Amino acid sequence: MSAAASTSGAGAEEEYEERDVTVRGTRVRLLAAGSGEPLLYLHGSGDLGLWFPALTRLARTHRVYRPDHPGFSGSDDGDGIDSVHDLAFFYLDLLDEIAADEVVVVGSSLGGWIAADLATIEPRRVSRLVLVNAVGVRAEVPTPDMFTHSPVELAELVYHDDDLRSAAMRRAREMEDDPALFERYLRNQISTAHLGWNPYMHDPKLPARLHRITAPTLILWGASDRLVPAGYAQRWAELLPKAEVAVIDDAGHLPLIERPDAALGVLRAFLGQGGSGAKGSTP
Amino acid sequence: MRFFGFHLMPYPYLPESHVAGRDSSWVTLSNATFDPRRGHDLYQRYLRELVYYDEQGFDGVCVNEHHQTAYGLMPSPNVTAALLVPQTRGKIAILGNALPLRDHPMRVAEEIAMLDVISGGRIISGFVRGIGAEYHTFSMDPTASRERFHEAHDLIIKAWTQPGPFEWYGKHYKLRNVNPWPRPFQQPHPPIWSPSQGSVETVDWAARRRYTYVQTYSDIDMVKRAFDGYREAAQRHGYTARPSQLGWSIPVYVADTDEQARREAAVHLGFLFNALMRMPKDVFFPAGYLTLKSATRVLAAKRGLGTSTMDPERLMDRGYAVAGSPATVRQRLADYQRELGFGTFSGIFQFGSLGHEEFLRSVTLFAEQVMPALRPLGDDETSPASATTTPG
Repeated sequence: MSAAASTSGAGAEEEYEERDVTVRGTRVRLLAAGSGEPLLYLHGSGDLGLWFPALTRLARTHRVYRPDHPGFSGSDDGDGIDSVHDLAFFYLDLLDEIAADEVVVVGSSLGGWIAADLATIEPRRVSRLVLVNAVGVRAEVPTPDMFTHSPVELAELVYHDDDLRSAAMRRAREMEDDPALFERYLRNQISTAHLGWNPYMHDPKLPARLHRITAPTLILWGASDRLVPAGYAQRWAELLPKAEVAVIDDAGHLPLIERPDAALGVLRAFLGQGGSGAKGSTP
Repeated sequence: MRFFGFHLMPYPYLPESHVAGRDSSWVTLSNATFDPRRGHDLYQRYLRELVYYDEQGFDGVCVNEHHQTAYGLMPSPNVTAALLVPQTRGKIAILGNALPLRDHPMRVAEEIAMLDVISGGRIISGFVRGIGAEYHTFSMDPTASRERFHEAHDLIIKAWTQPGPFEWYGKHYKLRNVNPWPRPFQQPHPPIWSPSQGSVETVDWAARRRYTYVQTYSDIDMVKRAFDGYREAAQRHGYTARPSQLGWSIPVYVADTDEQARREAAVHLGFLFNALMRMPKDVFFPAGYLTLKSATRVLAAKRGLGTSTMDPERLMDRGYAVAGSPATVRQRLADYQRELGFGTFSGIFQFGSLGHEEFLRSVTLFAEQVMPALRPLGDDETSPASATTTPG
């Protein structure tokens, strides 16, 4: 939920293509890279629209699509999008628009909630489902209220590593002096609040629909997430009994950013397994 | 000038560690802190104080709605108003019902109409959105706040002014039968007041409908901007605003001397602004409560009401509060009236941890030595608000 890492190192300017896609009247900013099986990456609420190195690495084997959600970062407000369920339908329309019939869906945090909902609507369209520190269901686990925390406090909750945390907190502090960036952050928060204020970051109807998901599913979790604690991974696992659970040590809310080697290792092994349509991958 | 006495019903018995600390006095301050026996005594005293305004010749009293806070003990302003109806003769201004927080706006339409009929038309109906913290209190989506406010307002006004039953299928409220009994005593409906801290949007909304706009808790420059904005909006909407349409609500404290008044007021202003109002920015202004443009400005500001410490002396100097001897308060309010052109004044004589005796003395001094001299100022008949606008 904090700002994603910036594009990596030298020559990074060619890492991805950027274009606008208009889906039923709503323009969204779409970043894409690589070739191969399509992979839709759905970002979390604190993501300010940046590409990050793990996506570049996924693009070596997949055609990676990373849209800004309607109401977030470089995209227009979504007219009539008042819930994650609405957003899931929107992304099915987006997949139609870019002619991606069957996709891997990887969703982080808020994006994980959208991904799971989408997979209950058109299950056969999702070849693999990956939920990364995902919200969307409720667990009886004490959880901080993201809407009562300042940007600095949220950055503090997101990272495990001391240096990454300090850097994120410094960026959050500096953000208030950068009106354009701060406005982007606030707009993303407003859009998140509209989707997840009440019930807090979950849909009580979702658990009863999750049985519809047919794709092999990976629940990937940063072990020391303090924003969406690992107890939520257990809750997802109860609700998706065939799913695989992988916990990444020494990572917080954003394991793909904080420990890309470990997180991508698990993710690649999962994506490489069997053919599309294989049922479950029980450990 | 019309005079109203406002009461916040604060809960003053907070642990010293809380007062001196940084924790919020809203939403999360545990209700274990509230002592029901002391609360009983407070309510008796506070209701007597409200009635005292009426006895001292104020035109009306003001009550309000706040939730989960030591700032004020009136989660239902309509309950407070109901208690006051048989004990008062003047107006009762409910400032106001927080429309978006209600599941059902028709409950507001019914309760206000009931109070208005029972009181024989003494009710003033304020409509507000509720402060940001209250969207945390009820887990109410703050991004829908403005829409719900406007739709609830439109529905209530229609329910009061058009014979029912009729259907209402709005975005937020869907009703097969709108037909509230009773209807209001005052026709077409009780006066509507709109309290705000100066949002341009609210000022224009109130001016367009000729509602009385009440400015609260603001630097004097902000008060002037809001009142000027109202008068300009009124002209845009084709009429000249009357002074009574502009209301100013501030803490007031009168004592025998300026020195005594400022010294005593400072303690309670400090308690009000720095302890009772205190909460984190993200609680005060939840995502979507303000427009994106306002939020970018307000949340990046280093200082703000409730979110940073305010110096009581500065509060008195900058027009957030008025304290002094009767002569000083009389002079300052007369000067402010000439500068700002308001014709409705709502004094918050009970604030912070002010004691009962101090309250009674302050109100008595005001009623006897301040109010009479100010009565002729800001009168709708003799001084149109536009004439008092300071040029430039």
